[in-house]
Amino acid sequence: MDFKYIVLILCLLLLAFLLYKEISRANKGRLVWRVLASLIAVICFALLIIPVKYETSLRRNANEITLLTAGINPDSIAKLKGQKYSLASADLVNAKTILIPDLSYFLATHKDIKKLNIYGNGLSDEELKSVNGYEINFHPAAKPNGVISANWQHKIKTTEQLNVQGIYQNTSNEKVKILLKGLGNSIDSLSIEPKSDKSFSFNTQPKQTGKAIYQLIALQGRDTLSKEPIPFLAGEQSPMKVLILASFPDFEYKFLKKWLFENKYPLAFRSQISKNKYSTDFLNMDSLSLNRINASSLKKFDVLIIDEEELAALGGSERAAIDNAVNSGMGIVIRILNAKSITPISGRFGRFESPVPKDKQLGLLLKDENYKFSKLPLEQTLFLKASQNDQPLVADGSGKILVNSTIKGSGKILISSLVSTFNWLLSGKTSDYTTYWSEILSKAARKKPEIQSVKTTPQFPVINEKIRFVVDLGESGKIPKLKIDSLKLAPRQNIELPFQWDTTFWPTRDGWNNLSVNQSTQSFFIYKNTDWQALRNQQKINFTQLFIDKLKNQQRKTTITDISFQEDVSPWWFFAGFLLASAFLWYESRILTI
Amino acid sequence: MLKTEGQNWIHNLRKRWTMLYVLRILAIGLAIAMVSSALLIYLMHLPVWLFAIVLLLVLAVAFFIKPIWKTTDKDFSRFVNNRYPELEESADLLLRNPTELSMLQQLQRNKIEKIIPLIPKPKEPVKKLYTGLAILLAGILMSFGITKIPQIQKAYHSEQENQISVPSIKENVLPEISSLNATIIPPAYTRKPERKQKEFTIKAETGSKVNWKIETNISIKNVKIIFNDKETISLNAQNTDKTLWFYSKTVSKSGFYQLVLDGKKSDLYQIEVIPDLPATIKITQPKQHTTIDVGQPQKINLKVNLSDDYGVNDAFISATMASGKGEGVSFTEKKLSFNTKFNNEKSIVLSKQIDLKSLGMKPGDELYFFIKAMDNHGQSSRSDVYFVSIVDTTELMSMAGMTNGVNLVPEYFRSQRQIIIDTEKLLKEQSSLSIEAFKTRSNELGIDQKLLRLRYGQFLGEESETEIGGDHEEHNEHAGHKEEEEKFGDVTAIMDKYAHKHDIAEDATFFEPEMKAQLKAVLTEMWNSELRLRTYKPQEALPFEYKALRLLKDLQQKSRAYVAKTTVKTASLKPEKRLSGELDKITQPVQKMSSEQKDQRLIHLKTSLALLESRKSGKKFMEGDRFLLSETEKYMIGAAADNPATYLNALTSLRRLAAENKVQSRDIDVVQQAIQKMIKGESAKPQMQSAQPASALYQNYFNNLNKAGR
Repeated sequence: MDFKYIVLILCLLLLAFLLYKEISRANKGRLVWRVLASLIAVICFALLIIPVKYETSLRRNANEITLLTAGINPDSIAKLKGQKYSLASADLVNAKTILIPDLSYFLATHKDIKKLNIYGNGLSDEELKSVNGYEINFHPAAKPNGVISANWQHKIKTTEQLNVQGIYQNTSNEKVKILLKGLGNSIDSLSIEPKSDKSFSFNTQPKQTGKAIYQLIALQGRDTLSKEPIPFLAGEQSPMKVLILASFPDFEYKFLKKWLFENKYPLAFRSQISKNKYSTDFLNMDSLSLNRINASSLKKFDVLIIDEEELAALGGSERAAIDNAVNSGMGIVIRILNAKSITPISGRFGRFESPVPKDKQLGLLLKDENYKFSKLPLEQTLFLKASQNDQPLVADGSGKILVNSTIKGSGKILISSLVSTFNWLLSGKTSDYTTYWSEILSKAARKKPEIQSVKTTPQFPVINEKIRFVVDLGESGKIPKLKIDSLKLAPRQNIELPFQWDTTFWPTRDGWNNLSVNQSTQSFFIYKNTDWQALRNQQKINFTQLFIDKLKNQQRKTTITDISFQEDVSPWWFFAGFLLASAFLWYESRILTI
Repeated sequence: MLKTEGQNWIHNLRKRWTMLYVLRILAIGLAIAMVSSALLIYLMHLPVWLFAIVLLLVLAVAFFIKPIWKTTDKDFSRFVNNRYPELEESADLLLRNPTELSMLQQLQRNKIEKIIPLIPKPKEPVKKLYTGLAILLAGILMSFGITKIPQIQKAYHSEQENQISVPSIKENVLPEISSLNATIIPPAYTRKPERKQKEFTIKAETGSKVNWKIETNISIKNVKIIFNDKETISLNAQNTDKTLWFYSKTVSKSGFYQLVLDGKKSDLYQIEVIPDLPATIKITQPKQHTTIDVGQPQKINLKVNLSDDYGVNDAFISATMASGKGEGVSFTEKKLSFNTKFNNEKSIVLSKQIDLKSLGMKPGDELYFFIKAMDNHGQSSRSDVYFVSIVDTTELMSMAGMTNGVNLVPEYFRSQRQIIIDTEKLLKEQSSLSIEAFKTRSNELGIDQKLLRLRYGQFLGEESETEIGGDHEEHNEHAGHKEEEEKFGDVTAIMDKYAHKHDIAEDATFFEPEMKAQLKAVLTEMWNSELRLRTYKPQEALPFEYKALRLLKDLQQKSRAYVAKTTVKTASLKPEKRLSGELDKITQPVQKMSSEQKDQRLIHLKTSLALLESRKSGKKFMEGDRFLLSETEKYMIGAAADNPATYLNALTSLRRLAAENKVQSRDIDVVQQAIQKMIKGESAKPQMQSAQPASALYQNYFNNLNKAGR
């Protein structure tokens, strides 16, 4: 039998006894009052023993703490009420706070804590994991002043453009000038109005081969606000192999051949001189038989340049070989002269003719980079139509397309209605010519698979913080040997992708570090703690905010269940009732009745 | 003699007046002197004590113009009389000796002596003094402003200089050298005096002789001088103590040099050569192509500007005349002088009238000329070729252009020629004709000209009542004469009368805009000629007629499509035989080439850039890096020899980098900048894009996608 019921029975007995005494008492004055008082006294006594619970939706403040993180303004600490806790990374010197060396340990030892009020830049990834399940109020610090987002290619090929882009958040009341500096030269600059965000994009062609650290400097008047490093690598690469099949030799081919030859590109050039008779040039490469085009000979080339007539004149098996080669990754550039297509492969692109513009000059521009070429003295009438799956590369001033591209299999098909570009070379505009053909050939050429690729996270790995490498290998099943300096790292295999491995590392040296994967070496850059401060702060704020938003979505369910939380009614109420009732009984019997 | 009260009053008044005046003049004088001397001192850089002289001069002039001290009490009494009517014109009584005065005078004098203290003192001098002070204040402000002008200019200049100036090298001189005397003797033709300098950095004209006189404070065994890091010359001591050294060299190329004192090397010092440029020739008159029409004077006025950095020595016109036609063209060359003396002026304006007739040019001939100028160093330069042609009237009149080919406007065209012939005939017969007859004929010619003009106007889409000047009424009247009698009942004729008929639309757009413009020019010429003919001045009309004819002829040539007859007859092709020849004996040419390994300059320079970058982060040079640095140094020496101003600094920095353990990032910056300048002009190259490591999984995925697509 339950203790509760025993108590209840005893109380009922007590009540019955008391009622009997009351009724049987000689003095019948104030009987109703006395009975009532006895009743109250017994009920209160019973409830004193049996705790009464009720459901509450009240929030309790007892179990929440105020947590200060890095980036909080020291002046605002004083305004916060109550006991304050701070993380070691907050580095608060004079504030009266309780230092938490390790958040997860602290939370594990203080189970009663249910809610965190976080001030400052927020928590790091690791710390966020430990606060999962808590109710969190986040009060982010003021917006960081500086570069809050930045990106650039960490690896470029020589003569390629380095493109540094990002957003600068200027919260100050004065103008800020940002400047890209590299190799001793100031490359480009931009001024940012006070109290505004501005995105910037700087382009440059780095001249070095190897590693370099450019700098993004923010200046305000004469003060240097920040100096952020931009490390990147410019590497040489084996040149692409080009095959040119011409139905007749012309100047366009002649100049292209010369240019590629001088730049040491392996090139095979075949032009027809009579029926089934060809003149062949092998430049910077070994000769092979090109009388009949077949799969094995095409395998040796990365890009094929051909005119439509030649393509039409090829035999069926040859054309099939080209088709297959394109499907498996080779690029093909088709030059067309007529408005009617005569081969199926070039027929994928629509064409149209349009009258010659008045100035009889052709002004071209590159679609991606908005690069404007100098004018060509051509009367161009043949243009291309773009369909949904095409990527136009070169268009004229009014947007009529001259070079179009599409994908086929894993290869690319480019088509060009531009007859002659060598006029650029003749008029001394070498850079236009090289830019044009670089773009065309780069876009067309077969992509070169890397032996392995290494990705590092986070974007800005900092000294003494964790860095994670994700290594992709060409072949799966073999454990890669990863080494930093002489330290061996233990990789972990991805469950779903057997060729992907990851590992973590805690760098202790800033600047360039080397990770050796099997035999090859990859460089990665470790930033100082002071580098990209604003950006990392902003990221922390963003991550914390994101985490909390996610958490709120989950918590909405848990809070609803928490509403039916049971609470004890304080026994003091019943004690008071009991006391009052008994006091009345005593007082009535001793004083009022006399 | 004791002065009376009245005398004192006048005297004091004068004293006060004079003093205030002097003060005013001083203030104004000071103001003028300050402004003018500020101008002289700050803008013309004259010495400061000039101010005192200017001030004295100004004051002297001021006092000379108005000698105030010459005024006497008497003058003042006159002034006071004028000024204050209270004195009743008797102020001069005050000045007179009272004993000499008559009774009445004394009475009067006593009367005004009582009034005197009541008279207020004149205010003008004080007021004028204030204006004087105001002028002084303005003067001070102005002169202050003037002193600021040079500073502003300096600031402006320094800004410009900062942009232009090359990074100059702060000269580090070896401690052993006590003094240097470099004497630069420019070549005689530059007419520049020799100059001396204490600095090692030499800037000299091409061909200058440079003498180095080096004094050392201790005796030194041998002194060498190295030019461009290649040429080493030992110097001979000039005295027995071996403290005085001398070297002389003629510089003709930029470069740098270095002193070696007993094996101790100095800094690198640059030698910059100022080249002598050839004379520049600018022809301001005539235009590059000039055509002389009939009636115009057969002369051309030539105006030329010549300039050179040291002096123009000689200039002449080289003229070539071409006469004749077709295969019978003959050329004669002539050298025409300007008939002026050249005194090696730096710039000279020449003009010459060339009489084409005296050169023996006939209509139809052409003159090509250019100007050749020599500077005093013997460098010659020549101008573009200019063309002058005289229009051949006989050519215009010939029928050659029309007898063959398509004739677009034959009828009208002949008319213009006819008008010219008639005009010339009229002029010839002028003496034998009566004035009345001459006028009538001239007027008739004018009418013909007008008709012709109207006809051409139709080509332009003009209506018969022309917009170009024509007179409507007259035309109708004239037309009325010629018109045939109207046929009775001719409906179209009646309709024509009342309908406002436009030209056929096709006609309006018959010509290209270019041709239309030319046609319009023809019409203008015709209109001009008509005006002269109608005002009985056929002589004046003639040039316009000719010009109209010439333009017409051009027009006709332009609108003609000419296809020459071919005489060759080819056998007809047999398509079935095409490309069916035997080809088995034809070999297929195969060329093979490999571009030879070019010099490693670019590769070395690019790698050394990265090397320097890594040095910046504190990494020390390795043994292999030293080789790269020495290669880079070699290239840079070559570059510095050509352009010391650009690369010498960097070369010094590079050497310092290679030698020292401690690194200054400034040095690296300078070297990197220089290397980038040496690399410049690197153009884009096609690059293969890289793809993810080719995994079998990806390939499978791709293949399955392909299959699904089918």
